[in-house]
Amino acid sequence: MTIIFSLFLLTLLVIIAIAIVHTRNLFVCIALMSIFSLLMAVNFFTLDAADVALTEAAVGAGVTTVIFLTALRLTARREKREGTKASLLSLCVLGITMLLLIYATIDNPTLGDPNAPVHVHVAPYYLEQTYELMGFPNVVTAVLSSFRGYDTLGEVFVVFAAAIGVLFILDARKGTGPEYRPEQAGLKHHLIPKAVGGLLVPFVMLFGLYVQFHGEYGPGGGFQAGAIFATAVILFSLLEGEQAALRAVPRSAQMALVVGGASLYGFVGVLCLLMGGTFLDYSVLMQDPVIGRQVGIVAIEAGVGMAVCGSLLSIYHAFAARHPMEGRDESV
Amino acid sequence: MILVGVAVAILTTMVLAVIRAVSGPSIYDRVLAANMFGTKTVLLLAVVSFIFGRTDFLDLALAYALINLVGVLAVLGFFESRLKAERGRVDE
Repeated sequence: MTIIFSLFLLTLLVIIAIAIVHTRNLFVCIALMSIFSLLMAVNFFTLDAADVALTEAAVGAGVTTVIFLTALRLTARREKREGTKASLLSLCVLGITMLLLIYATIDNPTLGDPNAPVHVHVAPYYLEQTYELMGFPNVVTAVLSSFRGYDTLGEVFVVFAAAIGVLFILDARKGTGPEYRPEQAGLKHHLIPKAVGGLLVPFVMLFGLYVQFHGEYGPGGGFQAGAIFATAVILFSLLEGEQAALRAVPRSAQMALVVGGASLYGFVGVLCLLMGGTFLDYSVLMQDPVIGRQVGIVAIEAGVGMAVCGSLLSIYHAFAARHPMEGRDESV
Repeated sequence: MILVGVAVAILTTMVLAVIRAVSGPSIYDRVLAANMFGTKTVLLLAVVSFIFGRTDFLDLALAYALINLVGVLAVLGFFESRLKAERGRVDE
C-alpha cells in the first residue's frame, strides 16, 4: 500500500520537477513549486513522518509561496534564456555521477527493513526510553528537544544567522534603494478575502498555539508552530496591508523574537548547568526528573517557535519593504 | 475498502490537476490547478490517515486547510499590486 502510494506520488514529483526546470515563466514556476511542496508533504505523510509533513505543510503551503511572490514583485517575469548548450564534458560528468548514484542505491536497505543500520543503532533506545524518561508519546519531539537537544540548539542558531544574513542583504533602511512605504491597501477592499481571511487569522493563531503546546503528544512543535504563527501575521498583512502588519508586530518585536527565542534556548541550557546538571539536561529543573524534562522541553520549544516566527516575519518584511520597480527588466 | 476507492479517485483528480498545471496554456490555468491540487491534498491526507488508522494525524489536513488560503490570497495581492504598478506607469 505504502509502496504503491509512494511510487505514484514520486512519479508525479518527478514530472513536476522537470516542468519546474523547463519553464521560463517565474510565476508558473512558483505555482508548480507549491504543487511540489504539497506532493513532498504527502510523501512524508505516507512514510509516517507526520512531524516532517507538518513542517512542510506549515512552511511550504503558506510562507514560501508568499516570500517567493514578494520576491518576484522585485524582479522580471521571465528567466533570461542563457546559452544552455550542453557541453560534452558536463554531460559525461553528469552521466557518470548518475550511474554511480544508481549503483549506490543497490546497497540501500529496503524500505522498512528492521535490520537497516538506522534502525539498530540508537533508535531502539529512543523508542523504548521516551515514555519512561519524558512521560509523553511523541518520540520525534523527545529526540529533537531532549536526546539531540544540542543539534536543535545549533539549528536555532542557524535560523538566527539566516535571519541576520537576509536582513543584512535586503534591509531597505540602510540599503541603496529609497524606502518603499506605499499606501498598500492590501486586499481589504475586496469583500470575500476580507470576510474569509479576517475570520481565519485568529483560528490560524489558535492552531499555532495548539501545534506549539501539543507537540509532545501529536505531530508538531516549535518549528511548525513558529511557521504557522508567521503565516497568520502574513495573512493579516496580505489583508490589511504591510503597514498594518508592521504596526501589529513591529521590527523591534520581530528582532526581539529572534534574539529572545535563541537566548531562551541557551538560557535553559545554562540554567540546567547552574542547577547542578549538565548542559541541556532538563531533569534537574524540577524535583521529579520526568516533570523537569517536560518543563525544559516546553521552554525550549517555545524558544524555537519564537525564533522561527521572528525570522520568517523579518525575512517577509525585508522583501515586502523594497521598491518593486528597482531593477525590473522592462523589456520582458 | 471504500476508503481505498476514494483514495484512488482523489489520486486520479490529482493527476488531472498535474496535467493541467504542467501543460495548461495560460498562467491562470496553472494557478487554478495548483489551488485544486492543494484541496485534493487535504482530502488525500484525511483519507490516508483513516486508511493507516492514524487519525491523530488529521492535524495535518487541518493545517493545510487553514494555510492553503494564504497562498491564494498572496497570488491575488501579487496581481493586484502589479496591475496598479502598470496603471501608474501608463498615467505617467
